[in-house]
Amino acid sequence: MCLAIPGLVTELLEGTRVMVDITGVRREADTSLLEESLDIGDYVLVHTGFIIAKLDPEQAKEDLKMWDEILSS
Amino acid sequence: MSEPTKVYRDKKVVEALISKIKHETEKQSEKIKIMHVCGTHEHDVVKHGLRALLPSKIELIAGPGCPVCCSSAQDVDEVLWIADNHNTTITTFGDMMRVPGSTESLYQAQGRGVDVRVVYGVSDAIKLAEKTPEQDVIFFSVGFETTSCVTAAEVVRTNLPNFSIYASHKVIPPAMELLLQRDDIEFHGYLAPGHVSTIIGIKPYEFIPEKYNFPVAIAGFEPVDILMGILSLLKQINEKDPVVDNTYGRWVRYEGNTAALKALDEAYVVSDARWRGLGVFPKTGHEISDNYAHIDAKKKYDIPELPVTDLHGGCICDEILIGKSKPHQCKLFNKACRPDHPIGACMVSHEGTCNVAATYEEIIWEE
Repeated sequence: MCLAIPGLVTELLEGTRVMVDITGVRREADTSLLEESLDIGDYVLVHTGFIIAKLDPEQAKEDLKMWDEILSS
Repeated sequence: MSEPTKVYRDKKVVEALISKIKHETEKQSEKIKIMHVCGTHEHDVVKHGLRALLPSKIELIAGPGCPVCCSSAQDVDEVLWIADNHNTTITTFGDMMRVPGSTESLYQAQGRGVDVRVVYGVSDAIKLAEKTPEQDVIFFSVGFETTSCVTAAEVVRTNLPNFSIYASHKVIPPAMELLLQRDDIEFHGYLAPGHVSTIIGIKPYEFIPEKYNFPVAIAGFEPVDILMGILSLLKQINEKDPVVDNTYGRWVRYEGNTAALKALDEAYVVSDARWRGLGVFPKTGHEISDNYAHIDAKKKYDIPELPVTDLHGGCICDEILIGKSKPHQCKLFNKACRPDHPIGACMVSHEGTCNVAATYEEIIWEE
């Protein structure tokens, strides 16, 4: 039920709508529940047609660094 | 894949994490029980076969993580009462269709002519109401904070005379506290739900380590995410230093989603809520605020008190929901109650504990 799908913002549409590519499927999503602004190329989480979160790329890079540490320890 | 998901399923990272988890587990002599409260966690744990990879000393318990499973038969009954007495169209999520009411599900009611439609979300229900101004449309809204904030966004901006919302929303942190207060369920750490946490942030869980000295790890849904959460809990248990550890930082901020929290706060009031077979739990629900009474189906229609039967024919959904029993301990499981013929609510949604166990035939349940 709380399933949210990660997607890539591919187009900024009118008002509170953007186009998101979700595993190759393009669909519109509503940005009303997001305070941060969006740009093309941002990764977002989509839940029942609304964007509920924007990926923190710095943190995602930290994750990858952590995996490296885990693998090397 | 849109998100570079592959790295979160990397076999080498999974193996390295399992080895670290084994190392931490060896420091404990007793069984370590970890509860998650998220249907997506249960689904992904089983789909990826994680229970089989974990040391046998770790028990991963499925708690009340599926809002569809938790919804009381009374909610289904009341929605159907409105449909029968006021000639309305009911819209809801596909998962709700076969959830048993006291006498019938929405799916069964559809079979006798009630106009029930499945929608992707509340916005599609509103579009339908706009297209059919002569017909009353109700959106039967079920969900935890992840889903109810989307409904909240529409509550505050929608004003259509023929559209209303029947709210059956649950709030997760107070339910987690109630489980900690029960002495009939024992566990040692909470794996907190990643997507609820994108909305509510970290703060609402902080009372758990502070008041109960109990570990919490917020975790995502890929195998590496889930194992990172489990590893964090084991370290907290071993070091006797419980905190709320956010292992899903790429999506979850400390403050949560402030716009969504604002919508929740504006649209709803915290209320008592009915949980299937468990009765009313105080302060675990979100009802529509009086300021938006025009969109609240419970206020728009004068619903009488109806007799409620939550559990049918020996179903133990109530015990499954709180992790007290496991699916195979129910005499109906995979016999009378199956994914294609659910008797209990936990067998309906593809994230329901019984549905997941039946679909993936998880042998680990058999022990």
